[in-house]
Amino acid sequence: MNAKKQLTEGLITNNPVLVQQIGLCATMAISTTLFNGIGMGLSVLIILTCCNVVVSAIRKIIPGQVRLAIFVVVIAGFVTIVDLLLQAFIPALSSALGVFIPLIVVNCIIIGRAEAFSSKEGVFLSFRDGVFQGLGYTCVLVIMCLFRELLGSGTIGGGLLNGANSFITLDGTGAGIRIIPEGFGAGALILPFGGFLTLGLLMAVMQYALRKSSEKKAKKEKEVKE
Amino acid sequence: MKKAIDFIKPAVILLLVAAVVALVLGLVDMMTRDRIEAIAEQTKTNAMNAVLEAPSYEALDVTGAPADIDEAYAAEGGGWVVQVTETGSQGAVTMMVGVNPDLTCSGISVTKSSETAGLGAIASQQSAAGDAFRSQFVGQSGTVAVTKDGGTINALTGATITSRAISTGVTAALALCESLG
Repeated sequence: MNAKKQLTEGLITNNPVLVQQIGLCATMAISTTLFNGIGMGLSVLIILTCCNVVVSAIRKIIPGQVRLAIFVVVIAGFVTIVDLLLQAFIPALSSALGVFIPLIVVNCIIIGRAEAFSSKEGVFLSFRDGVFQGLGYTCVLVIMCLFRELLGSGTIGGGLLNGANSFITLDGTGAGIRIIPEGFGAGALILPFGGFLTLGLLMAVMQYALRKSSEKKAKKEKEVKE
Repeated sequence: MKKAIDFIKPAVILLLVAAVVALVLGLVDMMTRDRIEAIAEQTKTNAMNAVLEAPSYEALDVTGAPADIDEAYAAEGGGWVVQVTETGSQGAVTMMVGVNPDLTCSGISVTKSSETAGLGAIASQQSAAGDAFRSQFVGQSGTVAVTKDGGTINALTGATITSRAISTGVTAALALCESLG
């Protein structure tokens, strides 16, 4: 399995959110500002990569009967470490994401990749899988955040950019760059059901693109044959 | 028949993994605990200064006070700062309420909440809308309520429950200070 294939899988063909449809709960809840989206995406990326590496490294000594228990212990360990580090060093992000950081423990993306991938493959492949699947998750979050934030609250880059002096603020205090005047946003998009709408749209676009590309491929192959 | 080792081995491995994880967590906790506590302390002092500025605060004994009162402080130079927790629409809303010596509210700050982003969460945000909402409480006394309940506070759009929780909290804080004299 080469890196390019793994990257395409993580980002597109086997994207954790859009194709595997796992880890949706936190996706709906936090994809309201860019700051949250990037923070959550990177947290999951780091935890996923660490867990994949550890699970892969000890895969030969994990007894089949207790493998899920061991996965959960390893995941909970890394999640708690990330939670503590965020509280100590990026308190703004910690308070913005609130309970969703501890909830990464039960995020299906991580236990799903442990069960489906890293408990069967080598350490290096698992590391790459963690990074690419994490990137796939982050990309979806960022797209959803941009969409919901722009149409819902009328800003871009909330928490990360400050419209007044266009500075990048890393402490989550930036109000974002206002595109739509305050009060004119479609507030419904910020609510959880707006998350479902956004995700549904994204999945539809994704399915359309995937079908188009496979049709194109089939056509090309046909032409070559003829 | 399975041998005893088949039962013991998984248990021992699970125990070992758990022990290693626990050890690592202990180390990380040791490294971060002081910092996290310092940040919590700093956040609290900032919130207290934001509602009623004073060089120092003296913690008061609030045993016997209503259950929604968490902590109360007497500010140096008169007045009080009360930390109150009320139930909002998505869970607990914790706020700092500053009270002037004449029993009017000097300002509020929502320190911890998980209200809906874009609606109730505005109450805790540093934004024009958030400031406008919170500034309505300044100068209030007695029983504070949203307009829907016959009071004077304009509730945040789509967040009446959050606004109501904050009004209840401010009322509770003012009542406590009245009893403190």
